[in-house]
Amino acid sequence: MFLRRIARPLMAKVKETTGIVGLDVVPNAREVLISLYTKTLNEIQTVPEDEGYRKAVESFTSHRLKVCQEEEDWEQIEKRLGCGQVEELIEEAQDELKLLSMLNEWDPWGVPDDYECEVIENDAPIPKHVPQHRPGPLPEEFYNTLEAVTPHPEKDTPAGTSSESQPKE
Amino acid sequence: MPKDSHAFLGRTNPTGYFRQVFLNFESSKWNYKKAFFIFMDNQSIFKYSWETFPKKWVRKMERSEHGNRSDTNTDYPFQLLCFLKLHTYTRVQVSIDICGVDHPSRKRRFEVVYNLLSTRYNSRIRVQTSADEVTRISPVVSPFPSAGRWEREVWDMFGVSSINHPDLRRISTDYGFEGHPLRKDLPLSGYVEVRYDDPEKRVVSEPIEMTQEFRYFDSASPWEQRSDG
Repeated sequence: MFLRRIARPLMAKVKETTGIVGLDVVPNAREVLISLYTKTLNEIQTVPEDEGYRKAVESFTSHRLKVCQEEEDWEQIEKRLGCGQVEELIEEAQDELKLLSMLNEWDPWGVPDDYECEVIENDAPIPKHVPQHRPGPLPEEFYNTLEAVTPHPEKDTPAGTSSESQPKE
Repeated sequence: MPKDSHAFLGRTNPTGYFRQVFLNFESSKWNYKKAFFIFMDNQSIFKYSWETFPKKWVRKMERSEHGNRSDTNTDYPFQLLCFLKLHTYTRVQVSIDICGVDHPSRKRRFEVVYNLLSTRYNSRIRVQTSADEVTRISPVVSPFPSAGRWEREVWDMFGVSSINHPDLRRISTDYGFEGHPLRKDLPLSGYVEVRYDDPEKRVVSEPIEMTQEFRYFDSASPWEQRSDG
């Protein structure tokens, strides 16, 4: 029993390489991710409550934070989130923080009184002979975030967290 | 009947319905389920961006199979593009093109169009701003370094300049060319023609005198056209 407790950090596979040029392996990825996500959740408090941006960021950041805290192993984190490698997740979290500081500086929240936005939904179909390169399915948590963000008439907590995620091809 | 379809902007989203069907689809043959992968959501990133953009920035949005578009005011393209680049669910890190369009009948006659691509989510988005001859756009070179050349192109071809652009010079026109070629009021053959002058031993520019022969266009016939028939 004690052997397993000692051996578990040793049994975690060491990541050799990310496979992406210029992106180095971060050995303590989990701690870095947890700190970044908690920082993001703190910073997002400055955004007004009913903005779609705040809802979206809170939704996916808290989901990712939960997964990181539950899983010990970077491989488990990657598999459960389905969002690519942990180094990419770190990069995304850092960019989100940068974006938050920029948004705090610009302060674009709130809708002016004479705001009108013209929305065009053009459903003209593409001719059949044109090859369409459809992308693969997005990770599960994206759809959860999308649901959290779209204004439902009976709005409350977003849809349940994913138990199994689809790995992104 | 899907138990929960996205009611997006008051309309039922057909691709969301599809996804519900796909997830509940049980098939003994793997091939049938695989066929669903062909019809994937490439509009959902754009719809997500509708909800998450700060509303101040956006004036008009168009979602279509032919290209998703969002229009903004002149003050905001830099901020909007930074948002698109950095946000986790709209990682557009490549700017494909920045070009301009001239609508001479409008008050703000030029439209600057930013075409962007997200390699992470395989989605494209187009952002448009309108400007007139004297408006100056803010350059988007810091998020997208390749935009330096596109902005120079827009300046050269249309005359829409940028504030604090790192390097704004002409890129496609001749040295000493006056005018902005892609504006609608500059004629197709320009105002000046260029020829090598033997007495002066250099190339001179002179006002154009085009011969009638050159101007004979009959595109219906494949034979080379000459004015004498």
